[in-house]
Amino acid sequence: MDENLQEDWIDARLRDDASYVDDGGFTARVVQKLPAHRVRHSLRAAILLGVTLVASAIAYLLSGGGWFIAEGVTRFALLPLPVIWLCAAGATALVMAGGLAAAMSRTGGRLR
Amino acid sequence: MALTDADLVARVLLDDDHHAFAELVRNHQSSVRGLLRQLVRTDVSLADDLAQETFLRAYKNLRSFRGEARFSTWLYRIAYNCFREEARKRKELVGIDEAQLEAQHDPHTTDPALRHDLAQALQLLPLHERTAILLCCQNGLSHDEAARVLEIPLGTVKTNVLRGREKLKRSLAAWGPN
Repeated sequence: MDENLQEDWIDARLRDDASYVDDGGFTARVVQKLPAHRVRHSLRAAILLGVTLVASAIAYLLSGGGWFIAEGVTRFALLPLPVIWLCAAGATALVMAGGLAAAMSRTGGRLR
Repeated sequence: MALTDADLVARVLLDDDHHAFAELVRNHQSSVRGLLRQLVRTDVSLADDLAQETFLRAYKNLRSFRGEARFSTWLYRIAYNCFREEARKRKELVGIDEAQLEAQHDPHTTDPALRHDLAQALQLLPLHERTAILLCCQNGLSHDEAARVLEIPLGTVKTNVLRGREKLKRSLAAWGPN
């Protein structure tokens, strides 16, 4: 018996056997189990920005016009130069570590 | 005009459109449930539970679908992983609710006796050969796509299909073309 003919015949029987499975409410059940709608990215960004602005305004008002910021900047400027460099290097390292962590979480730990 | 899988995926990702996802489920539920029913071999409801889990995982991980493979191939991979996890939990998935499976089949497509013998012959195959046969010969995946779904080398898929087909040929010799 021809080998190819028999293979074709078996493949055809297998395809015949894979008849359509009727939905029967399956799709509806899956959709019902989906998590609630996610907040859109743009909306999430707007909410974060709004909350930040409101919190800043409240802090400004409660602190008597933000005098403590001017005070802090003045004190920082009076620090010795090596300390300022050290602070800058520390801040840079923190930002880089944060960026790296965010990138790794996006790629599931795989860095190419 | 019907939307493609890529269009529907984009809608789900951009607008979290549940209707678009429902359309994806509707388009692929038959093949995913069919594959799982053949793999599980215990009861249809377990296969459907796994199919439901497959689609829920697909929804949650849709961002990781990069469109390099067909959406159906990606779904088969999730379905196969769900099946493997369940199989590990239960150690072995044996015995088939044939009456339930028969009831789900279209009676006009194949001789019931042949279908019965084919189901028996498939069940006698080792899992790796059965899975390769189901994906490649029944669901029309290429060897390369099946290798991605099963996460095994291409050569292994080809060998499994070849061996599985040989065994089916021997089991169904009486039914074959003359």
